[in-house]
Amino acid sequence: MTYIGAEEIVSPLGQSIRENFQSVCENRSGISLVPHAGFNQEAIHLSKITDLSSSNKFETLLIDTLSKVAKRIDPARITSKKTLVIVSSTKGGLDRNIKDPFAPSLTSLVKHFGLANEPLVVSNACISGVLAINAANNFIKAGLYDHVIVLGCDVISDFVLFGFQSLFAVSATPCTPFDLNRSGISLGEGCAAVVVSNTPEIFKNKPLGLYSGTSANDANHISGPSRTGEGLYRSVKRTLELNKMSFGEIDFISAHGTATVFNDEMEAIAFDRLNMADIPINSLKGYFGHTLGAAGVIETAISMQMMRHNMLIKSLGYSETGTSKSLNITTGNKSSELNTILKTASGFGGCNASLVFRKL
Amino acid sequence: MSFITACCHINEESCVLNGDVIAQKNTESGDSWFKQLYKGLTLEYPKFYKMDMLSQAGFIGSELIKKSNPALSTRYQDDEIGLLFANQESSADTDIRFMESYVDKKSPSPSLFVYTLPNIVLGEIAIRNKWFGENMFAVLPKFAPEFFLQYGEIMMVAGAKAVLMGWLGILEGKIEVFVFLVEENSATGMQLNRENLITCAGF
Amino acid sequence: MDTLKEDLKKHIIEQLNLEDIQVADIADDALLFSTEGIGLDSIDALELIVLLEKFYGIQVTNPEEGKEAFLTINTMADYIEKKRK
Repeated sequence: MTYIGAEEIVSPLGQSIRENFQSVCENRSGISLVPHAGFNQEAIHLSKITDLSSSNKFETLLIDTLSKVAKRIDPARITSKKTLVIVSSTKGGLDRNIKDPFAPSLTSLVKHFGLANEPLVVSNACISGVLAINAANNFIKAGLYDHVIVLGCDVISDFVLFGFQSLFAVSATPCTPFDLNRSGISLGEGCAAVVVSNTPEIFKNKPLGLYSGTSANDANHISGPSRTGEGLYRSVKRTLELNKMSFGEIDFISAHGTATVFNDEMEAIAFDRLNMADIPINSLKGYFGHTLGAAGVIETAISMQMMRHNMLIKSLGYSETGTSKSLNITTGNKSSELNTILKTASGFGGCNASLVFRKL
Repeated sequence: MSFITACCHINEESCVLNGDVIAQKNTESGDSWFKQLYKGLTLEYPKFYKMDMLSQAGFIGSELIKKSNPALSTRYQDDEIGLLFANQESSADTDIRFMESYVDKKSPSPSLFVYTLPNIVLGEIAIRNKWFGENMFAVLPKFAPEFFLQYGEIMMVAGAKAVLMGWLGILEGKIEVFVFLVEENSATGMQLNRENLITCAGF
Repeated sequence: MDTLKEDLKKHIIEQLNLEDIQVADIADDALLFSTEGIGLDSIDALELIVLLEKFYGIQVTNPEEGKEAFLTINTMADYIEKKRK
């Protein structure tokens, strides 16, 4: 086990973890109708940070979020040789330089904070965030670093929006994960951070315990979710086995839940196969939209807050069962003792990942 | 202890398997360089033609490694082979083409868009071989032997018995491909360490 | 109509990168999305929608509509004829 804490989020729902969790507790969504955003100049529902005018949003968000993290841990650790920064992102600063989407922003990040090590970029589609947190845990367990700061960040661009439109995957309404009437994603943007460490001492607030996580490929299709949920099933099964945990020990599942017809169906099948269909579950995409490479970190950070406050958060947008196997979707905020949480993610390329964290 | 048991290099002109030049680009041919290599493999896998250059590079590299180590497909369980790949330019080669599809040609191409993520190549290799193991794609400022040594070891400790690794530098005609197989407890191959990896990579 | 079908086959082969298939290999009634036929997949279907707009000026706003139209070259040609009128 390693320690995880110092969670931070900058998103349309707030400038700090406190503001973001407050918004989520009030069941407010960051998604709104943005005029002329689409390929044919049509209005599109997006979770967009409106007061960020920078021409270089990716870099600005990374620096802003890491500054906030520095206030939540011993700040000297940021520049330590034993600290690594992992950035999880799919498209980085693509708008700034399509041929080199990461290096310019990371160079600025290193310079701004005086980081001792070159940051590592994990770019594994929509599982990037969960995979990066798992990598952080692995690096520390292997003794290669003492602390790893994971920054998950993606910003909305014409590139990504037009791409999802070409797949007919963008919802005409704010996305409704797992709901009968779901019809696609709402894109979002934001940046989130967690710090993983071999010691609880660097955290200003009490950390939680992070356990080993795993990934697995569906080996089925590069853009279509598996009909059997094979990769997700295997990843969750292996994560639990690795930590000698049973299904019954999981108090809550923070699902991926993108609100496309096939993704949510795939997840329902996988959790049903895992005998986990009765465990309370939600998708946070109704609040933040799909933030791609940031999603796993944002959703882990909110789930950590749920654990700290012993509170189940409503799965926004859901009203009626819309998958062939029904899940125990959280339909309203509710107090509940949360000791062990499972976070999952699935993405293009057939990839799936899962992680588990616990109260100390 | 882990060993490098096979390696494959492809650049703009030649393809080298375990140190032997096995193919050279025929500049007279109407086929692309990667298509020439694919034909040389004599496979029935029409999906190859739909792949972008990054996926074609990883696909050819992995098929050649299998040719060199035929037991790879039978020796391990379907989740015991990890995939650990990296490059510097992510999926930029295809990103540029996708952007052209909506800027110049006025209709964003869905078949290009699905390749605008660097980890798609891992999916293609997993689909081809029915490998359900761990996947990781990283973007690094340059080829970093430490990354492969450290994360390869981590994957092995977590349960992988073999890890197919690769550096796939593909951008606007530049081809800098290095795919190699790392196995534990092998009777053959070079011990996996920094020096051997740098020698083997050649850059 | 026959020229339309031939053109359609050429466009499909080119747009979908079916490099191992010739125009003559695609029968007018071959099932485009069956592995017994041409073996196209869901992304190809979306690319066919792009193709219809690009070469024939036809906008498909609901991919479900495409499903029936894209059964075979015959159904596609019928669909184009109907929409062009």
